[in-house]
Amino acid sequence: MTQRLYAPIILLLVMIFLIGPFFIIVAASFSAGDTLAFPPQGFSLKWIAKVFTVESFRQSFAVSMFLAIGGTLTALLLGIPASYAMSRYKLPLSETVRFLVSTPIIVPGIIVGLALLRYFVIPVGLSITLALFLAHTALVLPYAVRVVSASLANLRSDMEEAAVLLGSSRLGAFFRVVLPNIRGGILAAFILGFVTSFNQVPVSLFLSGPGVRTLPIDMLGYMEIVFDPSVAALSALLAFLSIGIVFAAERFLGFSRYV
Amino acid sequence: MFQNRTEALALALPAAVFAALVFVVPVVLLLSEGFKSADQWTLSAYVDFFSQSLNRTVFLRTLKLGALVTLAAAVIGYATAYAIVSLPPGAKGKMIGLVVLPLMISPVARTYAWIVILGRTGIVNQALMAVGLTDEPFRILFTETAVFIGLLQLFLPLMVISLISALENLPRDAVPAARVLGANWFQVFWKVILPLTREGLVVGGTLVFTGSMTAYITPAILGGSKVLMLETLLYQQVTVANNFVSASVIAFILIVMSFAANILLKRIATARNRT
Amino acid sequence: MSDASFLSLDKLSLAYGKTIAVKELDLDIRKGELLALLGPSGCGKTTTMRAIAGLMTPVSGRITLDGADITRVPANRRNIGLVFQSYALFPHLTVFENVAFGLKLQGIGGDELTRRVDAGLKSVGLTAFSGRKTPDLSGGQQQRVALARSMVMQPKVLMLDEPLSNLDARLRLEMRTELQRMQKETGVTMIFVTHDQVEALALADRIVVMRDGAIEQIGTPEEIYNNPVSSFVADFVGFENLFAIRNGKLVAAGGIELDPAGPLPDAAGLAWRPRAIALGAGPFTGTVRGVSFAGGTREYLLESGFGTVKAEADVSVPGYPLNAEVAFDMPISAAAPLHRFG
Repeated sequence: MTQRLYAPIILLLVMIFLIGPFFIIVAASFSAGDTLAFPPQGFSLKWIAKVFTVESFRQSFAVSMFLAIGGTLTALLLGIPASYAMSRYKLPLSETVRFLVSTPIIVPGIIVGLALLRYFVIPVGLSITLALFLAHTALVLPYAVRVVSASLANLRSDMEEAAVLLGSSRLGAFFRVVLPNIRGGILAAFILGFVTSFNQVPVSLFLSGPGVRTLPIDMLGYMEIVFDPSVAALSALLAFLSIGIVFAAERFLGFSRYV
Repeated sequence: MFQNRTEALALALPAAVFAALVFVVPVVLLLSEGFKSADQWTLSAYVDFFSQSLNRTVFLRTLKLGALVTLAAAVIGYATAYAIVSLPPGAKGKMIGLVVLPLMISPVARTYAWIVILGRTGIVNQALMAVGLTDEPFRILFTETAVFIGLLQLFLPLMVISLISALENLPRDAVPAARVLGANWFQVFWKVILPLTREGLVVGGTLVFTGSMTAYITPAILGGSKVLMLETLLYQQVTVANNFVSASVIAFILIVMSFAANILLKRIATARNRT
Repeated sequence: MSDASFLSLDKLSLAYGKTIAVKELDLDIRKGELLALLGPSGCGKTTTMRAIAGLMTPVSGRITLDGADITRVPANRRNIGLVFQSYALFPHLTVFENVAFGLKLQGIGGDELTRRVDAGLKSVGLTAFSGRKTPDLSGGQQQRVALARSMVMQPKVLMLDEPLSNLDARLRLEMRTELQRMQKETGVTMIFVTHDQVEALALADRIVVMRDGAIEQIGTPEEIYNNPVSSFVADFVGFENLFAIRNGKLVAAGGIELDPAGPLPDAAGLAWRPRAIALGAGPFTGTVRGVSFAGGTREYLLESGFGTVKAEADVSVPGYPLNAEVAFDMPISAAAPLHRFG
């Protein structure tokens, strides 16, 4: 008897702890009151509407989208060839390369942001936007390499040799045979990279300037000044966006196979 | 396996050079600042750092919270993961999905919710006053407790996922066999489950510990300036005090502790294995 | 160039990093023959095949094909076909697209493409599967697709890596006949790599037995089967009783010497198949330690004063029970003389 109840009770409690706060955020964002509170005071859509009118949110949303899409694409552009070299070639110094492309996952993001600020932005005059772009690309690179490497490992390498023996160049074999077969893995890497970059805070902390800051940093800043439910509304919207993307990916691709 | 080294290097170098230039070089430069004073190699910055009681408090608090969150995540993680792997396949997949789901949501949003829950007029205080346990609202927000709760919620999924994959690889009959041999549940866990899942525990533990130690958002929102942790202290040192040397010291401590946690957990795991 | 050296390997040496896999190999392959590279794993047969295909660059030596030096010609311009052991089909393409892959790269399109791919599919009996994705096919069908994919290219040489090893017994026989038929019809020079002597003996016109990166023996299946030149080849093709010859005596595997039953030939050793051991009478005696029934024959394990002897006798002859003492003979005339031993 006790054993039969064990699983449901544990899982219910843990899920309330993990997911409950998210529902509170969603509920609070429909509040009619002017301060963040639960249970919400009345029902209105005004805070959700307000999110779209705050100029800085719009700007920082654009920055974050640019970083998440551009940074992840760049990371893939760098990461796919590197993964391919590591999985298919006798690569000299392969351990060093592997270490280099995976360190961004080991080192705390705040340190990376600070290092870029200290050595690129301040002395060299590198623009904040570019610094953010470099930082986010570096941050996503390990994920890109890991996911793409995993799908390459599942792909037999004699397929490329077969293509070459049928007259294809090695580069041609990559595009004709390898790429079409790791498309799912690449898309999974893209989504993982996008979500990681979009939600990333520490790396961007030091990298903000006039008109250029990421959305999570902007939200943190807004919270310090105004304590209304608009951040809750924005959080809820973003959460639904992330969940929507992941669900679609899982549904159409079996995303979780790759992560 | 292709033999052409030039081709291999041409493919791998862009990523390696990028990571080296954007990442490794600046970080190493930053870390080296903490060991230098007037172009001399010295540890004086570290001596200075630890001579201030605030810094010592923050350092110990970061370690303590990291350890406590890891311990709590391990205990709750085992209970949750064991419950999940014993579910039928369909329900199991959905549960895993629900555990992973929070990881996709912005940590800012996830942490923000706790303000509503733990604040002076938050749900917890409302409930406590409603049942008459207290007349005055408790101060929960901006305490270590709030940071602990926030970190645990943030990182528990990582532990659960690591332990689920470890438990899935458990030999099917190990637990029933131990039960048949007369072991009670505590003995089963200690003698069978723990030794056989220690790698999952090490992976999960490392993720949770380093995650907690290097989290910024949670201590910033739920701890504020009252409950500084190393990351928030680092931020203050740069933005308020403009002290890059001190920031470098903190950065180095964070990196060392991350690596040390990984090595230590591996040690613990193998030590248990030998007995 | 003559037909006798259509494809020539000239002092070919191959290595993986610092590990030498093949040393100074010389081999002439005739136009239109069906050649087997036979040997245990690690003997260098697959490496040799990969070098011929151009998938690996020789350390030294030359490869000539049809009169041209192809040692430095890249793999995609050699026009050599290879059917991989795993078949290496492209899972994202249909059967038709797989077979059309190489032709399209040559710029062939339209009606000619369709005609040639259809002809290729027809020759392997897969016309009905043209639109299927390859992962949906059975192992045997996948191999036929791989075969058609290579053959539509009209390669100068077609190589096959362990072509029968992934098939079950029935399909194996079917594929064997099909490969022979295809080879006779098209006249393509075919080289296949195998570790299975039965496969090599049944399929090949000529067999190259390899050992430790060098050729141990070249010959027709009959020659290899009946006249192995060395103890290595003899062991590989089923001579289970091997004796070295030293100072006019036979030396068993355990080092025990015995006097031969007659004058010895000028050789380094002698080998008997189990069938060649005569049971019932002779100068030697052994104790039956094992009997197993093998259809038309019984196989015996005899423990003699000089070691274990494997013998085989028709079931029509009365059998011997376990632990029986049996007299036997190893007639010199029934033995294969070996030129190299060890």
